[in-house]
Amino acid sequence: MRVATDIGGTFTDLVYVDDEGKIGIGKSHTTPPNFEKGVINVLKESGVDIGAISRFIHGTTVIINALTEKKGAKTGLITTKGFRDVLEIARGNRPDLFNVRYQKPEPFIERYLRQEVEERLNYKGEVLTPLNKQGVEEIVKYFKKENVEAIAVSYLHAYVNPKHEQETVKKIKELWPEVVVTASHEVTKEWREYERTNTVALNAYVMPTATTYINQLQRELTEYNDKSKNYIMQSNGGTTTFEEVKKVPINMVESGPVAGIYGAAYLGNLIGEKNIIAFDIGGTTAKCSLVEDGEVKISTDYYIEKDDRNAGYPIKVPVVDIVEIGNGGGSIAWLDSAGSLKVGPESAGAVPGPVAYGQGGKEPTTTDANLLTGRLSAKNFDYNVDLEKVKAAVAEKIAKPFGISVEEAALGIIRVANSNMLNALKLISIRRGHDPQDFTMVAFGGGGSMHATALAKELGMKKVVIPIASPVFSAWGMLMTDLRHDYIKTYIKRLRNLQAKEILAEWEEIEKVAFAQFANENIAKEDVEFHYFADMRYLGQEHTVKVPLPEGDWSTGHIQKVIEAFHELHEKNFTFRLDDTEVEIVNLHVTAFGKIDKPEISKISRQSTIEDAHIETRQVYFENPNRWVDTPVYQRELLPINVSVDGPAIVEEKSAVTVVYEGQELIVDEYGNLIIELEEN
Amino acid sequence: MSAQTKVDPFTLEIIKDSLLAVGDEMFIALAKTSMSPIIYEVLDYASGLTDAKGQLLTQGNGVTGFIGMLSTMVKQTVEKYGQEGDLNPGDIIVINDPYGGGGSHLSDVGLVMPIFYEGELIAFSANKAHWTEVGGKDPGSFTNDSTEIYQEGLQFPCIKLFEAGKVNDAIVEMIRANVRFPDLSLGDMWAQVAALKTGERRLQELCHKHGKESILAAIEYLLNHGETISRQELKKLPKGTFTAKGYIETDGIGNGPFPIQVKVTITDDEFICDFRGSSPQVPGPVNTSYTGLLSAIRTIFLAITNPDQDVNDGAFRPLKVLADEGSIMSAKRPAPTSNYFETMLGCTDLVWKALAPHLPNRLAAAHLLSVCSVTLSGNHHDTDEPFLIVEPSAGGWGGGLNQDGASGQFCVLDGETYNVPVEVAETRYGVLIDEYRLRTDGAGAGEFIGGRGVVRSYRALTDNQSATITYGRNKFHPWGINGGHKGSLNEFFVHRRDGQVEGPFGVYPRYPLHKNDVLKLMTATGGGYGNPLNRPAEKVVKDVKNEYFTIEEARMIFGVEIDPDTFEYKELPARKTAK
Repeated sequence: MRVATDIGGTFTDLVYVDDEGKIGIGKSHTTPPNFEKGVINVLKESGVDIGAISRFIHGTTVIINALTEKKGAKTGLITTKGFRDVLEIARGNRPDLFNVRYQKPEPFIERYLRQEVEERLNYKGEVLTPLNKQGVEEIVKYFKKENVEAIAVSYLHAYVNPKHEQETVKKIKELWPEVVVTASHEVTKEWREYERTNTVALNAYVMPTATTYINQLQRELTEYNDKSKNYIMQSNGGTTTFEEVKKVPINMVESGPVAGIYGAAYLGNLIGEKNIIAFDIGGTTAKCSLVEDGEVKISTDYYIEKDDRNAGYPIKVPVVDIVEIGNGGGSIAWLDSAGSLKVGPESAGAVPGPVAYGQGGKEPTTTDANLLTGRLSAKNFDYNVDLEKVKAAVAEKIAKPFGISVEEAALGIIRVANSNMLNALKLISIRRGHDPQDFTMVAFGGGGSMHATALAKELGMKKVVIPIASPVFSAWGMLMTDLRHDYIKTYIKRLRNLQAKEILAEWEEIEKVAFAQFANENIAKEDVEFHYFADMRYLGQEHTVKVPLPEGDWSTGHIQKVIEAFHELHEKNFTFRLDDTEVEIVNLHVTAFGKIDKPEISKISRQSTIEDAHIETRQVYFENPNRWVDTPVYQRELLPINVSVDGPAIVEEKSAVTVVYEGQELIVDEYGNLIIELEEN
Repeated sequence: MSAQTKVDPFTLEIIKDSLLAVGDEMFIALAKTSMSPIIYEVLDYASGLTDAKGQLLTQGNGVTGFIGMLSTMVKQTVEKYGQEGDLNPGDIIVINDPYGGGGSHLSDVGLVMPIFYEGELIAFSANKAHWTEVGGKDPGSFTNDSTEIYQEGLQFPCIKLFEAGKVNDAIVEMIRANVRFPDLSLGDMWAQVAALKTGERRLQELCHKHGKESILAAIEYLLNHGETISRQELKKLPKGTFTAKGYIETDGIGNGPFPIQVKVTITDDEFICDFRGSSPQVPGPVNTSYTGLLSAIRTIFLAITNPDQDVNDGAFRPLKVLADEGSIMSAKRPAPTSNYFETMLGCTDLVWKALAPHLPNRLAAAHLLSVCSVTLSGNHHDTDEPFLIVEPSAGGWGGGLNQDGASGQFCVLDGETYNVPVEVAETRYGVLIDEYRLRTDGAGAGEFIGGRGVVRSYRALTDNQSATITYGRNKFHPWGINGGHKGSLNEFFVHRRDGQVEGPFGVYPRYPLHKNDVLKLMTATGGGYGNPLNRPAEKVVKDVKNEYFTIEEARMIFGVEIDPDTFEYKELPARKTAK
């Protein structure tokens, strides 16, 4: 049996697939600060036979929590002489342009714990000044006195030549074996010293927390089962072992959320859809990501706490390319000082939550609007809903100022929320040169299925899939993962001067590292699969385009093909190409999968009829034209397989609702997914 | 209002958001494809949409200094091509004339594209970007000792680069022949064209989806929304007249300082900045056009009224700016304007200084007060290819009520501007960077201290390099407030390879550097806020431990005696009397 558990802000989700391919789910409360208790709880409560688990996969928020709550270790930093302020100067940018009281993000490491050592390489990695080991010794002495718990080492140009960083780490380990130490080249091999230094600083900062957590979880699990193979979900959409991730725990920063994107890609493969827009709505945010030809896209342009007013902190590790906006079920609807309706980014959260929860929430939210328009039923909440209270909140805050009815106001909230989400969906598709009509939307999370059909219609998409286990789909995705490592290395080379031999040696070097890492994880050589990419640009540009290199071939004849592929991708992304301009590689990128056997998902059979599934017919307030429509409501679990249902319709399941519009057609496929076909626009 | 009643308020809101998203998309597309660090790192460009009359609807900004300059370009276009049939779909107009619609300096090249729907002109898509090269007497084009605009590069006086979708090859060839790095300049031009077309396509899609009438109604709604918010904020400001005086230090060719002054009058519905009585225009290139002045004042007006809002022309309806024609901040042809930004900053600073004591929640003490621009050219030590660094420098911002100033930030006329990473600079350019660190010079003390300036040292790796440095504010210090100390000066030194030290300097054209000479650039620490004797002693101890201040400074300036080993401290009697 395979089991996946995913820790969220409120709940810890579980999905399992047994040896017959049958899927089951469970949910239990998250238990901060001892998150591993919640994991054990959900295992026990879901009735899983813990002793029978063969593979256990885990997604955790422990890392992101330590970062956002600033509860990591006391960390010291060692830099090249002259550059200890790299974390404080950062990039000098001020996203909040017109705010002359702008405050930049405070470095995770205070100045007195940022120390310099004599050493220097040039941009080619040649040694200009040898490492002063005496200097390292003095710093270690000082860090001991200051009770430092973790040390990050980051030198200029270490991405070309890690020699001095390696020597420093070795020296520190000799002098102080107990301390945690990590160097920049172990975490990222890309250039730009601020981004790389911040990444290694944050890696050191979370290392003790991560190690403690993983060790505790391991101990607890072993008590029930010492044979299970245990994996952790990384931000790149693949897994690694508990032991490996302790070395670079910052790779877990988006551990949970990315699994849903991976799951959407995997499901697409299962049902014959290679091009997917994955769309996940939770309580406070909506996330989306584009999967092209079955490939989950990753990038290293990841930040925490960055928005259009704040510079945030860069973390240059491979993370699934997700666009996230502050729009979820709990997002609050409000009027700005000039009377415009806004939804989010502030959220009512789980406590007090939407007005409908009756837990003291006073501000109308998207969930409240969905209730008042009949999309949600008061009967389907875990709380006793006081409908009059919800109406009163929307009336007072929204309807009255506009002089309109409550249902019109509620529909307005939904439309503005949809507009926000639409802009995010356009950002990952149209704006990057993709036509949404060529994609299928896979929608999940608590709110995904409620908004997906309206948004897909706006985008001119033809099909929406609400997967099985959609409210806990991230955990489902984890069940299907392989081990995965991404190796990205800055390697500046003009294609005109490229020596095939030289670049092939780079590939080989990366592959050697990959095989060694997989050997640590008990993955045999023949189960390793490589995908090759190069980040490329026109000479003189800064930003790059990721070009897939299916064969990883650099022979002279093939280089022309690579250049042409770049021109085409540049044109697709940015609408133009410069045929006469030289093309340059900036980064080499190898994705290595350690393939493991996947559970077979069994097909389901069900002897029910539409009438069995029909719960009630209720009034739902639809847009275009705005009116109340008698709408049949069905129970998802009772809908017969492969029988079509015409919209308008509502499908209810525990913790989620799917809205099917007029002109759309729904069927349940043989895996239990809801497939909604949209009429041609 | 008549149009608005037809469209429901949520549709207007949704279209408004879509317009803003179009602005963002145009903005990002340009950075991703540009060839010049000054665009993709410094983000010295702006792009946006205006209505058919040239009123700004949405502007994506990398720097604040361009706010308002898209409108003036469009207005010049509408004036020049005002007859029926003058403008056609697919036309693109190029402008950089500072005295016309351009407003800044020749290096900022603007493109304007009319957008038609169903045969009707409905809007314009426009952008403006700092090209690394537009020709002229010095590498990098903008310079600090020009005496006529003709020395500063090619002038594009509002002419058609594209006619009905077809590029005018003659103009392209003229550019190629007249600039030093034609691949960069033309690469940027194509990036700008692509971004404009994106704006055109997206607006047409919106018209197709919502109908032209709804779009026009939403445009009106958007502008009114901006105005409403500004007027509400204006009501909250203190009313009266506030004045400040200051100087533009030098024109770059030995003249100055030049006195400037402002009288700010705030009433219930107007915000008037009157610069009349300031210095006439000057021989060197620090002059700015009236358009430049207006952009500067719009920036500080937003900082004062509502820094959070999305910017459109409606927001500026209450703002009036007055200046004498032919003055240093409203110069006439052919005065040179290469370093127009230093006078823009001087004028911004005056309004800031006049109001800072009255608006402690919006305004802090003075910041580095200069773009601190650096142009360094020479040949790369490995490839022997020519290189050209064009970049601003980060420095200290002022302390303010309840907050210390930020360290290592670019000036107020920059914005989402990024420094060039050391590793990138050493790969591309013929230099080694010896240090990039905070400057700890004891300045800017206060209850809330000014942010630290920055030291960045370039070591030349080849002979015959040339540095043109414009470090304004080299004589007049950034001011403190409420007893906070003043900040320090922007300055640079040259450490010759034989050990000789030259400097300090502020503004200097074409400083020659040879292999192993070090150009040491030092930016100002910002002004402090409040009496330093009132800074909590624990914070002073932390400042010393972090080496922002020395033990000596802690005792002399902050009245805190600190043990260098244990960091135990004692508050000196001076602190009691201060309270």
